[in-house]
Amino acid sequence: MNTWHRLLCRLLVSVLLLLAAAPDAHADKRIGVIMTGDIPYYGAIHQTFVAELHKRFGGGEKFEIFLQRPFPNPISWTNAARKLIAFDVDLIVTYGAPATQAVIHEKSRIPLVYAGLYEPDLAVTSGKGVTGCGFKIPMSSIIRYLKRLKPVNSLGIIFSSIEEDSVRQCKTMQELAEQQGIKAVGIDIRSQADLAQLKNVQTDAVSITGSSLVHLWLTDILSILEKARIPAADIFPDEMASGVLMTLYQPAHSQGQMAAEMGARILLGVEPGSIAPHTFRDTELVFNLVASRHLGITVPIHLLIEATKVIE
Amino acid sequence: MNRNSPSILEVSRRLFASLLVGLILAAPLPAVAADQTKELLLGIEPEHNIFDQMERYRSLAAYLSDQLGVEVKLTIMSRYGEVIKRFKALKLDGAFLSAYTATMAIRELHLEPVANPVNLNGESTSRGYILVRKDSGIREAKDIQGMGMVFVDPATMEGYLFPLLYLQRHGMTDMRIFFSRYSYSGSHASVIFTVLDGRADVGAAKNTVFDRLVANDPSIQNELEIIAQSPKVPETTLCIRNEIDPHLRDMLATVLLRMDQNAPGRQALTAFKALRFVKANQADFVRIEEMAQEAQSVIVEGGKD
Repeated sequence: MNTWHRLLCRLLVSVLLLLAAAPDAHADKRIGVIMTGDIPYYGAIHQTFVAELHKRFGGGEKFEIFLQRPFPNPISWTNAARKLIAFDVDLIVTYGAPATQAVIHEKSRIPLVYAGLYEPDLAVTSGKGVTGCGFKIPMSSIIRYLKRLKPVNSLGIIFSSIEEDSVRQCKTMQELAEQQGIKAVGIDIRSQADLAQLKNVQTDAVSITGSSLVHLWLTDILSILEKARIPAADIFPDEMASGVLMTLYQPAHSQGQMAAEMGARILLGVEPGSIAPHTFRDTELVFNLVASRHLGITVPIHLLIEATKVIE
Repeated sequence: MNRNSPSILEVSRRLFASLLVGLILAAPLPAVAADQTKELLLGIEPEHNIFDQMERYRSLAAYLSDQLGVEVKLTIMSRYGEVIKRFKALKLDGAFLSAYTATMAIRELHLEPVANPVNLNGESTSRGYILVRKDSGIREAKDIQGMGMVFVDPATMEGYLFPLLYLQRHGMTDMRIFFSRYSYSGSHASVIFTVLDGRADVGAAKNTVFDRLVANDPSIQNELEIIAQSPKVPETTLCIRNEIDPHLRDMLATVLLRMDQNAPGRQALTAFKALRFVKANQADFVRIEEMAQEAQSVIVEGGKD
């Protein structure tokens, strides 16, 4: 065997070794997910996201998920974002506006897919490697249903000033309530200690914004409101049927599915900037008749027939 | 001749007398039936709030009972499309029907349209609206393809027949593939709330219900866009079985048409939320029948959710 033959053999062996060692297009991908707290709505989006990814990647262990569940506060969101950037994951997925904005703030080169964002076109979600989906709920419908349940002259709006989208929802709700001659009162929850102010609330009804911090203490909030016989409406589903009288929400599965679709495409090499963000506008309406009995409110039959679901 | 056997003349006289009695008994039968009519059972198509609806119709029924000397009873038909079945099953004498069900009832049950109430806005007609949310991005017929649609009921002109015909004229060939999903909400108000909430992208409902909801809550008008509207059709028509005694039928029509000319009538009209009744026109229903024929090719039974 002369030198040329030896060189050719070595080259062939090297090529074969390289081909054997090379992973397939999306094997061993690492996905970092930030899901604030244990919010059931985000949990439902994540569940669909994972199931859909498995479906798309044929069920094999071709991706690994690093799930971060930070407590809803700015430091925890930043830490979660930095941790995933340090892991050098291939894709970051965030649920909710604060987690998304924390990742964007870090200016990482890692592509980001968000979901569960309220009105994403109005949230600060711009960035070269950023895309995702969110939802919009017609807040006026919440006021409309509450007014059909009982006379509403005053409305408490529970929000958290540390969450930009919650503040935005509160402002929208205040404007809509005032247009209808309803006195709107914002109730800011920044810590557990702030729940005490709910004991002094005397409004005819309460509307709960999509704040992760507020939903962390939802059961406590509803317990206080029930004692004062104040009905609550929410834009997140009350998965645990903990006592929200009326919920008008965007179903989580469609956002989970779309986030997975976007994520899969990015992992296969598509530029995030070329995937258009999407806002879901379809909703489901749920009345909780157990809560209505506790509150002494009768839900009229013509409202019940509107409902997508009735909790009895 | 036997004294006990009747003469031919006597036989003829008896035969004539028997015939006369028979004729006397037979001839006034309808009048006797009219006198014996104890009640009129009228059906009502369900609206969004049937309790308010019953309250409105109750005052009208009481007035009619008083004027006709016949007890006028009301029954709510379970849904729009039930009218033909219920009419037969309940042995109804008549019903207050919306445009399309009246058309079907005239065709299939040979009912006679009697009178239409004139609403407080001075109209006895209504028209269909195709509605979307202003922020939906839907502006014309072609944008509706692939969207979720909510109808009122397959037996409504404004809430089913009109949108189908409109979309057919704009290129829809099969509603099953044209919409991503479609459903029936059961009432016009419900369609409006469904679109407002985003539970459907597009809805079809009648203008009178839309106007009433907007009057109660002006924010509805700020949020919804009307992208198409149908021609006017009679909103509600009292249709009566043609077997009903003509005398009673005439009396019923007269009482209704003159209701606004006396104090108790005006009082009942106020409670009924109408200004007066006007004579129904059979020709109105011919046009709806033509619309139904034209839309037939795109109509599919049942919903696709």
